[in-house]
Amino acid sequence: MANQKKRIRDFCGRTRREFLWQTGGGFGAAAMTSMLSKDGFFDGSVNAAEASYANPLAAKPPHFAPKAKSVIFLFMYGGPSHIDTFDQKPAMKGMDGKTVDVKTFGRGGHRTGGRIVEPRWDFDNYGECGKSVSTLFPNVAKHVDDIAFLHSMTADSPIHGSAMLMMNSGKVLSGSPALGSWVNYGLGSVNENLPGFVVMLDPSGGPISGAKNWSSGYMPATYQGTVFRSKGAPILDLARPEDMSVDVQRRLLDSIQNANSQHLAQRQGNSDLSSRIASYELAYKMQSTAPEAVDLATEDAATLEMYGINNDRTRDFGTRCLMARRLVQRGVRFIQLYSGGSHNDANWDAHGDLEVNHNKHAGNTDLPIAALLADLKQQGMLDETLVVWGGEFGRQPTAEYAKGTGRDHNSYGFTMWMAGGGIKGGMSYGTTDELGSRAVENPLHVKNLHATVLHQMGLDPNHLSFFYSGLDQKLVGVEEVEPIHDIIA
Amino acid sequence: MLSTHRLVMLLVSVGLVSLGSLPCSAQTDGKTNEVDFAKQIQPILAKRCFACHGPDEAEGGLRFTSQKEAFVEADSGEHAIVPGDSQASALLARVTSDVEDEQMPPEGKRLSPEEVDLLKRWIEQGAKWQQHWAFKPMQNPEPPAVQDAQWNKNPIDRFIYATVSEAGLKPNPLAGRTDLIRRAYFDLTGLPPSADEVKRFVDDPDPKAFEKVVDRLLESPHYGERWGRHWLDLVRFAETNSYERDGAKPNAWKYRDYVIKAFNDDKPYDQFLTEQLAGDELDEVTTESLTATGYYRLGIWDDEPADPLLARFDDMDDIIMTTGQAMLGLTLNCARCHDHKIDPISQKDYYSFLAMMGDVTRWGRRGDQRSNNQIDVSSEELNQKYRNNDETKRRLETEIRNVEQSGIVKMSAPDQRATEGPKRDRNRVLKEKLRDNLSEDDWKKYKDLQKQLADTIKEGKSLPQREMVMGLGKCTPKPEQTFVLFRGNPHSPSDPVEPDFPAIFETPAPDASAFKGNEKSAGRRRVLADWITSDENRLTARVMANRVWQFHFGRGIVRSSNNFGKLGVPPTHPALLDWLAQQLISGDWKLKDFHRLIMSSRAYQMSSAGQTDGLATDPGNDLLWRFDPRRLSAEEVRDTILAINGSLNRQTYGPSFYPTLSREVLAGQSRPGAGWGNSSEQDKNRRSVYIHVKRSLLTPLLTAFDFPDPDLTCEDRFVTLQPGQALALLNSKFVHEQAKRLTESVGGAELENKDLVQRVIANVLSREATEDEIASGSELITTLQTTDKLSRQRAVELYCLTVMNWNEFLFID
Repeated sequence: MANQKKRIRDFCGRTRREFLWQTGGGFGAAAMTSMLSKDGFFDGSVNAAEASYANPLAAKPPHFAPKAKSVIFLFMYGGPSHIDTFDQKPAMKGMDGKTVDVKTFGRGGHRTGGRIVEPRWDFDNYGECGKSVSTLFPNVAKHVDDIAFLHSMTADSPIHGSAMLMMNSGKVLSGSPALGSWVNYGLGSVNENLPGFVVMLDPSGGPISGAKNWSSGYMPATYQGTVFRSKGAPILDLARPEDMSVDVQRRLLDSIQNANSQHLAQRQGNSDLSSRIASYELAYKMQSTAPEAVDLATEDAATLEMYGINNDRTRDFGTRCLMARRLVQRGVRFIQLYSGGSHNDANWDAHGDLEVNHNKHAGNTDLPIAALLADLKQQGMLDETLVVWGGEFGRQPTAEYAKGTGRDHNSYGFTMWMAGGGIKGGMSYGTTDELGSRAVENPLHVKNLHATVLHQMGLDPNHLSFFYSGLDQKLVGVEEVEPIHDIIA
Repeated sequence: MLSTHRLVMLLVSVGLVSLGSLPCSAQTDGKTNEVDFAKQIQPILAKRCFACHGPDEAEGGLRFTSQKEAFVEADSGEHAIVPGDSQASALLARVTSDVEDEQMPPEGKRLSPEEVDLLKRWIEQGAKWQQHWAFKPMQNPEPPAVQDAQWNKNPIDRFIYATVSEAGLKPNPLAGRTDLIRRAYFDLTGLPPSADEVKRFVDDPDPKAFEKVVDRLLESPHYGERWGRHWLDLVRFAETNSYERDGAKPNAWKYRDYVIKAFNDDKPYDQFLTEQLAGDELDEVTTESLTATGYYRLGIWDDEPADPLLARFDDMDDIIMTTGQAMLGLTLNCARCHDHKIDPISQKDYYSFLAMMGDVTRWGRRGDQRSNNQIDVSSEELNQKYRNNDETKRRLETEIRNVEQSGIVKMSAPDQRATEGPKRDRNRVLKEKLRDNLSEDDWKKYKDLQKQLADTIKEGKSLPQREMVMGLGKCTPKPEQTFVLFRGNPHSPSDPVEPDFPAIFETPAPDASAFKGNEKSAGRRRVLADWITSDENRLTARVMANRVWQFHFGRGIVRSSNNFGKLGVPPTHPALLDWLAQQLISGDWKLKDFHRLIMSSRAYQMSSAGQTDGLATDPGNDLLWRFDPRRLSAEEVRDTILAINGSLNRQTYGPSFYPTLSREVLAGQSRPGAGWGNSSEQDKNRRSVYIHVKRSLLTPLLTAFDFPDPDLTCEDRFVTLQPGQALALLNSKFVHEQAKRLTESVGGAELENKDLVQRVIANVLSREATEDEIASGSELITTLQTTDKLSRQRAVELYCLTVMNWNEFLFID
């Protein structure tokens, strides 16, 4: 009740533009102005005090003390099979080919039974917690004592298009901001020279629906994900044309800013003009800070080796994992790495040959993910970095076709995991039935996962809202949603 | 990948003075002692009572959210409010009680004596529960007479001057003519004037010089391109469906052209709405009115929803949200799952409104993505030929597929899987393995069917082109019963409802006989359209008058222009708004005269300069003591860059074009380049309103400058100033190409520096260069050549680039 009142008061009588402007005010703007003055940019003709703009990506106080400062979301696009990776199903042993009554819903529609595909990989126990992990992830398995497995995940849709939107934005309808947008909207960025929400794609291509997966929806595009490339200039239009040196660009900027200063001097009370002047200096700086952030030249050989960058199989994902660690070090709030892209077997969508598909994708990512966890831990960063692993759904226990091992999608029950960022390690939460067909114990919804991410970042998921279309829109929706308290340290 | 280089955004600082604290109402409510419920009582109730007696709680059986509920007998047996009798009203007894157990509010400060007095007087005056301003019938206020003769001519100015002077301020003098013509050009056409046009206007001694400019611009076809785009934002226009396939919406561009043409033809706004809502149910149905029903086909569409019933209601919600907000300024969508918390809109209202559109079908289904959304508008004779051809084709295709499937089921799983993937894979498998999996007879039959199909296709191709438009291709003439859905859940229907208007409008429910349905549609939407566009509708005219004002002045009189409800922003000039709405109606809902009325005011023609008093008293300019300067919109930025070097292709109307997107942008797609075509160089120079709007692949240059996400209605674009924009205008291939073209268009790099600078400034800024600019521009070119060792050509190009980055280029005074 108190919350409700507060929200009404908070937004009553404001336009969305105004609201945003206000939330962005404060510390950041002042900091930027002083930075520019220090750099000697504002000369006598421009009064720095007139630059009364606000930076919505300026750091903002969280709702309460955060456990995590950054999130790395390892997105296993296509939907990895939980029963073949982290959710062992001993009862399925020896059941291969048997027909079983089980309700499933996937791409192929609703079914009431099918032919069991027995998990194709052996499981071993690891760590002090004794967690059993399949041979697909022998390296990640070494870190189970730092990981909380969520075995009872459910989602609203078992179809890629809507399920991707669900996992990324909390809704099966397109048009809503992504999780990364919410985090940046709520917290801002502590490094104004870098985007706060970075997405790194698989070399095979983007996921289906492309940019819809990192869209900021009804929020300003400032909060949308920025795609970072691992080769060349990381950001679109960041690189100067080849024939333009730094000196030439600086000369051009000085000329532009000179004209802008004279223009501004004749226009009292127009802070937009000085804001735009400032934005040019920031753009100029970013051209050196952003490439530096993702330049691996300063990393030592052992690190490159650890991430598997010297190996063809693991180079791509390893590079992205290492870039992610560097971005976290520089204050980037939310980083999403895609394992898999494009269509069919270029991602985890194992409809045809389960073994070929999962051997490929697990083999490409197991070592780099383990390296990322080890590296974060050894640098003392794991405590403040929340790592999330999973796809948009899991896979069914039964075969999709009359022949072969392919599994259809399953949103009734699947596994994701979290590590670091104030999450308890060495634990497994929730269960699926003995076939892994659906969540049975402590079922979790994608919204609980989102609520947990926001909560660890110091944001109240039931409070973080953006006024649009007459409603206080929230990532987790209208109804209150609890974070997964049992996995929070 | 989208243009995702938004690193830091510096938002435009729209003024933020609390509206309540300003003397912003010109509609001075007389000096009577009548207590104003909305202004004086409702805030007390909301602040001090709603926590326990509000939308969420009704402790003791009492809540103060509506008259009915506030006047009931509470659980205690008392009446909180007895109109006209403060003695009998328990509310007053409780707020003044000395007994701790009886006191209200139970916690926190007591009400002040002034507040108690207000409540007392209000109850004694009859406890009138006045409606929220926007839900009251419109007034026809008299413009106040003001002392300043110049501000006493145009009625708009009289309203404005009254409020500005009441705050002890003076409105700005007129803008200089160079500023004014630039303002008018961008405002009406989104394009800059040429330097010649500016000069002609500046030198024109005719007192009607500005009127002539406005008339000319309103006759320009570019007017519809600029103002049509405003409407396209509101109705979330896009040409694809979003989701995995983000498939194209065929002929969506014809709806876009319909909108542009409607503005150019000065189609009355009531007719414009009617055609979009019920263009298929008019007395005279035309190709144009059918094209208008494309309105229902603009939204997102999930072709494989997990819950098909929910998906249908999601679609309808999308349409109700858009219709409610864009046409009525009402967030009807808030009442989908429960009664609106703040506005008097019930769930019943929502579903009754939905029933009004009950015959609207979904965009399509996976097997048939055309019949529901494409309307054949070609001749009947041709149609018959096509129908026959289609029928034969479909029959043959089905037969062929059946034969193929009979072979496919015998194949291995990976092969079966491949037949479901891309067509190429399917064909490969079929080519290699089908024959082995078919009997000889089936194979022969298969070959024969294929031949027949090829012949049929050939025959179909030889027919003349068929004309199709996007719209309501198929409706459900007898819609199913609509129910209120418990918590919005389509699987939990509760009470049945009939098509009706929201209760706040106090319009009697339409009689069933009002619906003139036929074999194609239910006739309900026509009734809805007639109601929305009736002169008596409390919101339609106000909402549109406010929008026109917003697009001229950069903000509405009601700033939340999609939300006139209680959560919206109250009008800064309520009387002016009602007066404007009346003008719109009495002018037969035509917009061009309405533009003339507004643009002929001093309020519009005022200078945008800052003045010390104004900035101190009203820094946000809510009173309108100056004209607000503004940044160019996304389309204006791109179009102007093309216009100033003469390469803008001004061709109006027609299919959308595809600008070049870089490889890294396309790499964000799961199939890079899918759904993105190639257009000729000539087409790529067309105006931005003709760019193909693909939901998952928006054009980076446009999104950098705040082109809105097209999934949801946008009342007012964000205006950001951020480094990503600077990067696009400094480094992008596009802008460097245009700088090169600009160099050529002014006469090439061989020109003397002075000539060059003069011509560049004239082209880019439509004015003469100053001595200072000539000197610094020449110096820059020389230094780039001598110190930086750039070629003359490149040095000049880079000079051109700098001017295109000036604030003067991007901002309009």
